[in-house]
Amino acid sequence: MRMSRLFQKTLISIIFLFLIIFITISIFSGWHLYNNLTEEYKSKGTAIASSIASSSVETNLNLDSATVQAMIDQFLEIEGVSYVFVRDSSGQIISHTFVPNIPQEILEISDAHKSGIKDISIQGMGEFLDIVAPITEGAIGFVHVGMNKNIINKKMWTVIGSQIALLSAIFALSLFLAYFMVNKISQPLNELTEYAKKLLNHDFSARVDIKSKDEIGLLANTMQSMANNINEVFDRYEYALKDAVLELQNTLAYLTTIIDNMADGLIVVDKDGIINHINSAVSDMFGLLEHEMIGKNIKILGKNFVELSTKSLATEEIVTAEINLTRNRFGKAVAKSIKKEYFAEDSEAKGILGSVILIRDITQEKKVDKLKTEFITIVSHELRTPLTSILGFVEMIERKFKDTIIPNIDLNNQKITKVINKIERNFDIILSEGERITSLISDILDISKLESGTVKWNLEEISIEDIVENAYKALSSLFEQKGLAFNLQIQPNLPKINADRERLIQVMINLFSNALKFTEKGFIKCSAELSNNEILVKVQDTGIGIPEEEIDTIFEKFKQVGDIMRNKPKGTGLGLPISKQIIEAHGGKIWVKSEYGKGSIFYFTIPLIKREGNNNENINS
Amino acid sequence: MKILIVDDEAIIRELMLQIIDEIEDMEIQTLEATDGLEALELIKKEKPDIVFLDIMMPKLNGFEICRIFKNEPPSWDMKIIMLTAKGQDIDIQTAKELGVKWYITKPFKINDIIKLLREIV
Repeated sequence: MRMSRLFQKTLISIIFLFLIIFITISIFSGWHLYNNLTEEYKSKGTAIASSIASSSVETNLNLDSATVQAMIDQFLEIEGVSYVFVRDSSGQIISHTFVPNIPQEILEISDAHKSGIKDISIQGMGEFLDIVAPITEGAIGFVHVGMNKNIINKKMWTVIGSQIALLSAIFALSLFLAYFMVNKISQPLNELTEYAKKLLNHDFSARVDIKSKDEIGLLANTMQSMANNINEVFDRYEYALKDAVLELQNTLAYLTTIIDNMADGLIVVDKDGIINHINSAVSDMFGLLEHEMIGKNIKILGKNFVELSTKSLATEEIVTAEINLTRNRFGKAVAKSIKKEYFAEDSEAKGILGSVILIRDITQEKKVDKLKTEFITIVSHELRTPLTSILGFVEMIERKFKDTIIPNIDLNNQKITKVINKIERNFDIILSEGERITSLISDILDISKLESGTVKWNLEEISIEDIVENAYKALSSLFEQKGLAFNLQIQPNLPKINADRERLIQVMINLFSNALKFTEKGFIKCSAELSNNEILVKVQDTGIGIPEEEIDTIFEKFKQVGDIMRNKPKGTGLGLPISKQIIEAHGGKIWVKSEYGKGSIFYFTIPLIKREGNNNENINS
Repeated sequence: MKILIVDDEAIIRELMLQIIDEIEDMEIQTLEATDGLEALELIKKEKPDIVFLDIMMPKLNGFEICRIFKNEPPSWDMKIIMLTAKGQDIDIQTAKELGVKWYITKPFKINDIIKLLREIV
């Protein structure tokens, strides 16, 4: 049986206590006994010695050894007496009880010891008290009585031994009693401990059976009622918790139902691009089951997603991409990073936790877009044919008029010359307006293709210098005509870009011709440089500039600077929107800074990262 | 010199005839076809030196005619000039792939035609 800690402690205390009692009593009683016995032996010895001395005086003045011998032999039988011997006045031992010889130590002390008591030690015999009594004050001789000290020691140890035995018995009894007493205390304590352990394990229905009226009983009662209280509180909380959980579950189910019934697909990825959550629309969009996507890297849904989530995780802005879905459907994905600061304060460092990607099936929109483009394509073709006839025949008439009619007319007639001038001007108007319709048709076709994403991009490694120079070449006659200075600053050794050469030339031509169109004097400056892994191109003019309220709409369709009714500039109003579409398709940005009346600076960027074609190019196939 | 004008629009053919008529220093015989099949027959029969070819025509379109002559090159030197309202990159590229060297989009200038004809001849 295991000893209780309480009993162990008690045991140690008892042992310690008893040890002290043993030692003190033994030392005290031993010492006391020893002294008493020694005193007793001393007086006993002295009495014997005196008795022998006086007897010797009475019997005979001259010591007769035989008589003395007979007398001392009687005394030897008294308890404690070890030896007796008598010396004459000269110190000669005349009779003794030593058998067989007088030990050397006795012979040595005889002369010196003439009265009183002396401790001596005799080899082979032990310790003795040597007591001397003179006979007639030493005139006749001396009587020596040796009291055995060993007997004193033996008696003392016997007493101590019996004391220890008695104390041991009391000790055993005490232990026995202590064991019962301690058990009586510790058992209910153990019960209480067990009970407390049950409470710790939330077993509030447990009971403790301690009926005693002492402190322990009181403690048990208190604990019991405390447990009852806790039990009640727990019950209440449990009930409330159940309610809350139920409500939470309902809310969660409601939210999950909403998310799952969304027409749009929803994907949540963590910061490593691992898919954490999807809704059912996603399964349909990609033809994959939920367990085939959850926990996997987003790359299983295509490389566009990798790019999208990487971009989104690196920024707080909304990132979009067009993606292919199963069954020839197309989707538009919108990704937004999830930031940690929306969560409770328990998060370590604020940062991006992941990204939420929404995917909308835009197949229908694409179809409509495509239909629109097809419609515009057809319409533009149908318009071109009559336009060709009109312009062709007008040109023909003008030609005949100039080549054939004018030479045969009397140019001296002022009225006729005036009419001829008017007619010539009218021809110019018809032809230039015809050209405007032509470019308008081309631009409408162009922008509708760009907007619907049906443009095929011919990406190749090109230098921006080549683009700028080609655009300038195409417009050089206009530059000369206007007499504007052209300033070109291209940073040397610019890296090549991966872009559609013709389309970028189109953008440059647009920007240059705009600058030319709105600038009457001053200069046009073009520069290109490397900035943040992008090529930054600037086209600066000293033209009329853009009013502040129009800067935001300048890249919208059919928005041109100036009062259209009064000061109509030539152009289709589609140059900048087309340029914007082209630049954005290359992953770049286009913007303008302008001061009204002083001039404008158009900027665009083309990123240096290698692009593997455009997201939209698949739609063409 | 024989020039064949292939276009389903009579007015365009009329315009082309008038433009060619402007070239007075050359002796030019003009022929007209209103669709692809007729063009094909006329080409085989008349062996024209130059063909102005529209793309969108009934029966057989311009590209198909080009493809025929790409696979079976004519025995004589025949130059095909596309003359079409289809001016998109993809059309120009298709024409290039079919071996067409000249491509004029409608609407065009009279001088474009005259200049080109003088260049070719």
